Amino acid sequence: MSNFKEMLAAHNVSRRSFLKYCSALGAILAVPAGMTPRIAAALESDNRPPVIWMEFQSCTGDTESLLRANRPTVGELILDHLSLDYHETIMAAAGHQAEASKHATAEKFKGKYICIVEGSIPTGADGVYCTVAGETAVDILKKVGGDAGLIIAVGSCSAYGGLPAAYPNPTGAVGVSDLLPNKTVINLPGCPMNVDNLTGTIVHYLTFGSAPAMDRFGRPKFAYGKRIHDNCERRGHFDAGQYAEQWGDHAHRQGWCLYKMGCKGPETFHNCPTLRFNEGLSWPVMAGHGCVGCSEPGFFDTMMPMYKRLPNVPGFGVEASALKIGGTIVGASAAIFATHGAVTVARNWKQVKEAKAETRETTKETTD
Amino acid sequence: MAEITGTTIDKHEAPVECAVRRYLYIWEGQIRIIHWINFLCILILSITGYFIHNPFMSADQHPYIMGHMRHIHYVSGVVFCGGVLARILALFVLSNRFASWRAIPNPFNKKDRETFFAYIKFYTFLSKDTPHVIGHNPVAVVAYIFLFGLFLFQILSGFALWAQADPNGTMYALTGWLFGLMSNQWVRWVHFMIMFMIAGFVINHIYSVILFDFKTKSGEISSIFSGWKPDRRD
Repeated sequence: MSNFKEMLAAHNVSRRSFLKYCSALGAILAVPAGMTPRIAAALESDNRPPVIWMEFQSCTGDTESLLRANRPTVGELILDHLSLDYHETIMAAAGHQAEASKHATAEKFKGKYICIVEGSIPTGADGVYCTVAGETAVDILKKVGGDAGLIIAVGSCSAYGGLPAAYPNPTGAVGVSDLLPNKTVINLPGCPMNVDNLTGTIVHYLTFGSAPAMDRFGRPKFAYGKRIHDNCERRGHFDAGQYAEQWGDHAHRQGWCLYKMGCKGPETFHNCPTLRFNEGLSWPVMAGHGCVGCSEPGFFDTMMPMYKRLPNVPGFGVEASALKIGGTIVGASAAIFATHGAVTVARNWKQVKEAKAETRETTKETTD
Repeated sequence: MAEITGTTIDKHEAPVECAVRRYLYIWEGQIRIIHWINFLCILILSITGYFIHNPFMSADQHPYIMGHMRHIHYVSGVVFCGGVLARILALFVLSNRFASWRAIPNPFNKKDRETFFAYIKFYTFLSKDTPHVIGHNPVAVVAYIFLFGLFLFQILSGFALWAQADPNGTMYALTGWLFGLMSNQWVRWVHFMIMFMIAGFVINHIYSVILFDFKTKSGEISSIFSGWKPDRRD
């Protein structure tokens, strides 16, 4: 405790700003304000578990996000205090030394440490597409992930396979939960994940000793419980019927809704509009580009084409849009029954002629 | 031309040979009401649904246009759900034998099979005439079963997509499992595509009704308005 106080002082953080930070975290996690002391106590206590951050098939985007942590003074403090024992990009150790540190942590804190995974895991060709220190990503994940107390998959690649798993998925990339089906994996998808959601998830674990409430895709509800569309600052324009039709047109410059430009906000669950990125500065739709749906399972494939509302169907060498296929169904139906009708008229021509004559005859007789 | 009345025809010495004995009340009120409620719902749902896919009118035409279109889509969706469930319920209660589940052709019954294939032959021009059935024709019944399958998927996927506005709500708890089977983008795609399949069915339906009204002289078209069909023996 005194140690923590010294650290706060060393980082020039007053007790007041520390508690303010705890309240802000509580707000992100959507827990009552009365929880703030409990969050503070969890952060102040010294028995926080070490973290092993593993990178597989990734672009290091989530690490970039981590390094740009919002509220840096306190964020750094928390992450320093988490004892980040292994992180390929930012650790000082290298080579055998680094590997030794990883194995030492995994053994010493078996069942207690936090394992954070960035990037998808290739399963094709016995996993040779990604190896670290001579071991395949599959083996490393099964060993280090299997013994972890908590596994967090950061970014869409480690959560659901992401970009490497996009068609035709040459490396057989999968997400963490596909390889560790019996472990609770907290998915923080996004391209990249928002570091505030990672901080929130870890703080929730430290405070309550358990994973936060999650949806059916293993995503914490506090961050992925609402659609982008429902919290979007352009939502008013959507309901009003004000849409950008082309990049740079009047509507686009007015900041109107990007629905017709293929924005995937209506099908994507994430807290981008409320939390934003880069110290709360902006997020894609605010910057004038539609959401691409990066935090949904099935991204990249199901969210393409990027600038269309619905997926295209591959077939016969051309990708056909939903409207084209639908039009073909209706057109085929019309053609079939028009032909059937024409044939029926031809086949019944004699009967119609007779009926006409009979009717003429009958009505003539009766009116005479 | 002088007026032609029923009486004058009856007085004719050699009566016109008529296959119609009398009129029977085939489609009872509730069946006709459900039919037309569903018809209206499909029409409204298709127009508003297409608008939601591609908002072809803008705020210039009507302020808050997307909000209203979605509202109409949801309200008519709920009514349509009621209509479809009522029709399925009417298979078992409150309906005569022509509208009930007993009208479904039984593949293990020889006579049903014969009638069914006689209709198939007629549709494919292999025979010129159809056996007369007073209720649904058996091929149409099979098409309706398939159609109601589409309706049920539309209702399920429609509520599931609507429920995404609140993943903690009851509606999502009941329908959210669908997104475990396919991603929400594909649910949207199928929801959109079934609209076209139903449109294709409507073309078939209207064509067949005109065809059989002409061919079997059994008042197919008027029967869904009035309920009456002739009792033919020929």
